[in-house]
Amino acid sequence: MARYGMLINTKKCIGCYACRVACQRQNDLLPTQDFIRYEEHETGTYPNVAIETVPLQCMHCEDAPCAAVCPTGAAYIGADGIVGVDEGRCIGCKYCMAACPYQVRVHNEKTGTVDKCRFCTVSAETSGTKMCSCVEACLTGARIFGDLDDPASDISKEIAATNAQPIAGDLTKSKVFYVR
Amino acid sequence: MSENAITRRSFLAGSAGAVALTAAAGYMGFDAWEQAHADDASGGGETKTVHTLCNACSSKCGYTAYVVNGRLTKLIGDTDHPYSKGKLCARGYGYSQIAYSEDRLTDPLKKNGQGKFEAISWDQAYSEIAEKVRAIIDADGPQALAMVQDPRPSGKYYTKRFMNALGSANVYTHGAACNLSKESGMTQAIGTGSYSSDVANSKMTMFIGRSYADAIRPSSVVALQKAHEKGAHIVLVDPRCNNSRVFADEWVPINPGTDLALVLAMSNVLVTHGRYDKEFVAANTVGFDEWAKELAEYPPEWAEGVTGIPADTIARLAMEFAEAAPAASIEPSWRGAFGCSYENSGETARAICLFNTLLGCWNQKGGALFTPSVSAGKLSDERFADPKKPEGKQVGAAEYPLALSSMGTNLAAAQAAEDGTVKGMFFYNSNMAAGYSNTAKLAELLGKLDLMVVVDVQMSETAMLADYVLPDTSYLERLELPEFIGGKVPAVALRDQVIDVVHPNTRPVDRIFSELAEACGVGEYFRFGVDELADAQLQTVGLSLDALKQTGTAHFPEKEFAYGTAPKFKTPTEKVQFTSEACEKAGLSAAPVWVEPAVMPMGDELRLIGGKQAIHSHTQTANIEDLMQITKDYDLTRVWINADVARRLGIEDGDEVEVSNTQHTGRVRAKVTQRMNPTALYMPSHYGCSSPDQHTAYEVGLRQMDFVPFHLEPAYGGACTQEAVVTVKKVGA
Repeated sequence: MARYGMLINTKKCIGCYACRVACQRQNDLLPTQDFIRYEEHETGTYPNVAIETVPLQCMHCEDAPCAAVCPTGAAYIGADGIVGVDEGRCIGCKYCMAACPYQVRVHNEKTGTVDKCRFCTVSAETSGTKMCSCVEACLTGARIFGDLDDPASDISKEIAATNAQPIAGDLTKSKVFYVR
Repeated sequence: MSENAITRRSFLAGSAGAVALTAAAGYMGFDAWEQAHADDASGGGETKTVHTLCNACSSKCGYTAYVVNGRLTKLIGDTDHPYSKGKLCARGYGYSQIAYSEDRLTDPLKKNGQGKFEAISWDQAYSEIAEKVRAIIDADGPQALAMVQDPRPSGKYYTKRFMNALGSANVYTHGAACNLSKESGMTQAIGTGSYSSDVANSKMTMFIGRSYADAIRPSSVVALQKAHEKGAHIVLVDPRCNNSRVFADEWVPINPGTDLALVLAMSNVLVTHGRYDKEFVAANTVGFDEWAKELAEYPPEWAEGVTGIPADTIARLAMEFAEAAPAASIEPSWRGAFGCSYENSGETARAICLFNTLLGCWNQKGGALFTPSVSAGKLSDERFADPKKPEGKQVGAAEYPLALSSMGTNLAAAQAAEDGTVKGMFFYNSNMAAGYSNTAKLAELLGKLDLMVVVDVQMSETAMLADYVLPDTSYLERLELPEFIGGKVPAVALRDQVIDVVHPNTRPVDRIFSELAEACGVGEYFRFGVDELADAQLQTVGLSLDALKQTGTAHFPEKEFAYGTAPKFKTPTEKVQFTSEACEKAGLSAAPVWVEPAVMPMGDELRLIGGKQAIHSHTQTANIEDLMQITKDYDLTRVWINADVARRLGIEDGDEVEVSNTQHTGRVRAKVTQRMNPTALYMPSHYGCSSPDQHTAYEVGLRQMDFVPFHLEPAYGGACTQEAVVTVKKVGA
């Protein structure tokens, strides 16, 4: 089975938020449900300044702290390695939000449950709809999605070529890799 | 049912595997959602796709709308649309929700004696407006009527036709507060209001006050990225280090309002060192010697003192341009720094064209191009014949003779309400009162009108001032006229109707102005449907409405642009004009010279500059929940202040500050940053909504135009939107 992962190249990110809003439209989310959050960095001093925007979202960790702390099993790692939320089991205790080192889990104020990036590119790709997920939406091709176990996949090749790394090292065995 | 309908069966056939996969993961993906709705779709549920054009900004990117059971569910940029190229920006995704906004206008409104709006019937609205229109025409003639509109495919046609049918020439775009000065200035030099920089193929491109990454058109972002990845030298000249920095080699933090000095000094370097295309200049231009003489006054050492850019840098940039020419240009910009911002904006635009002329880059690969366009031919059906050309000239044309008549100076029209020269004004897709100039002054001027009619989808600040507000359908609920798009391969694209009308008592723009014309006694010019006219226009270019509905976009490859020879310039001399008689007649220098901004910051004052954020378009999108939530999550209403200046003023990042000048005082938080020129304060141009009926946007942030004095650029008529200085202090300090 494929081991899905994503690569985000911040050298190509213009901080335009298109991925966030596309994600919300794609997944019919509330305006407050931001599955992608951004950190902006400014380095150097005037006038020699560089800027970087780092989009962060569920890293679909192999050691997922959210799943470890969830008291009901609502947060879990699926057979395909995608970290999921079983909404019916979620009691809204927010332990998972506190445990997530990336702070990318979002409380749904309407349902009282917690949600986050679903790697919806999987369903878009397998169904052939290629809907406007973050990967499809990105204007600059900063995001690549694919099978980390397939050495011939675009993402594997790009990780090898760029030495892309998880955002926080080996912390949780994240499957989202960054070029910075 | 749409001709593009996907049957439920065919849609699901390909996705059954995904349904199982995603269902097991415990959330409802699109396919699962589809499946779920398949069962309860008693109303004959279907998925259909419709091609439309986004309305979140002027680019009007083409996309495919997916509609499930009558509701818009997904948007995917059309790959063959020249601007979207398969992508949309955040605004495009977000603004699609305007159709379902809870703050939509749903009925015609009339302001009563107490100043409150009450709902009236369409018939009453039309007959009362028509009565007032006739009274104004009877007393003062049709030239006492004016229209302001931000052009959209149907809107620009119907508004103009309506005014011309009434006999008025006073049709204005939003241009005076957008790109009027730029387009008018360029016309004086090269005979046309703009050109395209061939960024992707360039060796060097300089952007002045424009950021592709903040005012997004997907194709432009792609071109910039391509240039960067190919190693082109990309220079950003901007008081603010904007988000295009990621794809730029250097940021040149110019003092705002002084771009003209930079261009003059770079021109000086090229001429002084003989590093310009002498052959091109000799063959294709007039007035070079006169300009060259003027340029002697503007060496880099002079410009350093004005622009804040070291003389060495200016000289280096000029020589780098000379090396890269002809695959180099200064990008034409849009609104940015010289669309309408300063006392010298039109002259800046003119000088930029002349600088590009020195590079010999016109129509050269990587240079500055005049790309072809196609338009609808003459229509044989008499119903489409144009009304008689109005006899008068646009109000403001005499005072601002360089303003292109295709745009006009809308502020001059508003100003003419003061003495009653203009008595009735119509607005379509225009929020003049909040976005074009000083808000208090505009409210005062528009308050003097006998008749003010606003057609819009939400209660804008302009609508609040109106006597009558007529509810338009959103762009998703109507077919519009075809939109012709110039480019390397010119194209035409269609905004088709995506969803049924959401609010039954709203009407599409074509119908509103046709019915209004009927009520005003000029209905004979509107005896056709928008579909009939659209088809007739498309037939003249070998297409049909049905055909374009299928594809959304069609191209004209036989008109494809070819690099090479210089074009015939559409100036009076048919050459590039280093000197312009019209400019001289309008009181300017024949060849562009340095013009001081109207105001300069003194002491602790900072110049107030505006500019787009990637998630908003002017004031139009602030009430969209998806987009405003981003503003709130990231505190994007903050004003940007240079870190050294902030330290001097005792302001720390995130502090609440008071921004104040002779026009207005307001409070907002500050972003303390290395990304700002020390003489400027940046205030994003989208906020400070004062319409309580826009529940999401109301009173969030400050409004730039509250601080901008009412002042028009001489000769060009631009709004001088950055001729404002303010002081800033920490609240409670």
